[in-house]
Amino acid sequence: MVGVAKTLKFIDRGSAENITRYLELLQVLVTRNLKVRYRGSILGVYWSLLNPLLMTGGYTAIFGMAFTSYYHNSLFKYMLEVFVGLVTINFFSASTTQALPSVVGNGALLNKIRLPVSVFPMSMIVANMFQFASGSLPLLTLATLVTSKSLLNVLALLLPLISLACLCTGIAFVVSAMFVFFRDLPYFYELVVSVLWFGSPIFYPAAIVPANIRPFLVFNPIAMIIESIRQIALSGHPPNFALIGGSFLSSLVVLAVGWKLFYSWQHQFMDLL
Amino acid sequence: MYAICLEQVSLWRRTQEEFSYDLKRTMLSFVEGKYRQPAKNLVLDEVDLFVAAGEKLGIIGGNGAGKSTLLKVICGILEPTRGSVGVWGKIAPLIELEAGFDPDISVFDNIIFYGVMLGFSRGQMRSRVKSILAFAELEDYTLVPVKALSSGMVSRLGFAIATDVEPDILILDEVLSVGDGRFKNKCKQRLQKFWDANVTVLLVSHELDLIEQTCDRVLWLDKGQVKYIGEAKEVVDYYRDTVKHSASLG
Repeated sequence: MVGVAKTLKFIDRGSAENITRYLELLQVLVTRNLKVRYRGSILGVYWSLLNPLLMTGGYTAIFGMAFTSYYHNSLFKYMLEVFVGLVTINFFSASTTQALPSVVGNGALLNKIRLPVSVFPMSMIVANMFQFASGSLPLLTLATLVTSKSLLNVLALLLPLISLACLCTGIAFVVSAMFVFFRDLPYFYELVVSVLWFGSPIFYPAAIVPANIRPFLVFNPIAMIIESIRQIALSGHPPNFALIGGSFLSSLVVLAVGWKLFYSWQHQFMDLL
Repeated sequence: MYAICLEQVSLWRRTQEEFSYDLKRTMLSFVEGKYRQPAKNLVLDEVDLFVAAGEKLGIIGGNGAGKSTLLKVICGILEPTRGSVGVWGKIAPLIELEAGFDPDISVFDNIIFYGVMLGFSRGQMRSRVKSILAFAELEDYTLVPVKALSSGMVSRLGFAIATDVEPDILILDEVLSVGDGRFKNKCKQRLQKFWDANVTVLLVSHELDLIEQTCDRVLWLDKGQVKYIGEAKEVVDYYRDTVKHSASLG
């Protein structure tokens, strides 16, 4: 009965049961998160749309006329492109910024109960996905239906969104793990997010980027996701699967690297929480 | 039959002074070539411990002897650097839960939340809510956010959630009773139930009389090592003598 093993040996339940437990934990964390966020008001979700809508208005008012030649001289088209760009980058920056302190913030809990640590950054991403699904997604779906008049595009819209979620999860793993070691990370991460913000063609057309700089945009996975969502939702053409595949590939690489780093650093967390 | 087997368990941890690490300083120290590996301390040193199912084990020792660390290793919160840990049965850590309550959500939601953290399903917890609230005497506060409770009520709630379980192994780290005099008695009665049932109990406390009265065996930890383990009275007397002796010397 007394097993001699080199490492920790626990009577762990089957892995299926572990997955159930993980999902159960995820569910209570997400529910708690959304409850705190909206304090009982369902309308709270729509507040999250206020930011991209106002910003879209602002960019259209200021840059709209300057860039309209890149958008078939249509101010409305520019506006839609900006909106798509904004909701995407907002999802990225909000979900990863909120995930960043999630492991440290639950340090007291982790010191008392044995829990799968990754569930904390994960829950922030999932909570933001719910928010996105109830706020921005209906508008995106509507825009897709109106411009493409094709259900295929509406369904395909989910694909770059899934890859966005994978990308954010990967980054969330990295930043939440790094924050355990480096408590001044938020300042640096804010900087990184701003660079990504300006490095992604959100309120400007990719065509204005000098040709010698443009290849670098390929390394920005968000830029590719934004491009893919725009192609599906706003171009009126059938979904471009090369773009979808490309965005999936880069997101999955980020997710795999993030997961690997998180798991290899995880055993050091407890000494610092 | 054993409930807990620890063989040659050693644990190294990063020291306290490394806690204020930040990225800026680390990068600068790399650039200046002054970077060094974080220092580590030996917190548990080749601890062997075998606890039979149903046994009540007291753990004593000075501050920083590694008592709480040992409990964390047994709970699986900390992984030992070397050695093996085997635990048979469901562990209930009886710990102050107050720290983890979310003040903005209701008492009901916090109960579900904590229950799931402790390893129950939401379904199980929903059926337990009533008895937890009844024990904590907070039935009228079900939907009130936790921030509206007094601190005494919060600790009552924490105790009620943590003890509304049927564990195989109960881990008590100095949390024996909360609340006012009357509620304290209620806590004691509830803990007595665990003693009477065939539950394995690990009790960390500085109250030597309590340890002597309630535990079968006592483990004395000193600087992460097992100093002595044996009959409760024997170990507690030895500990008292040693402490008195060193106090009179110092």
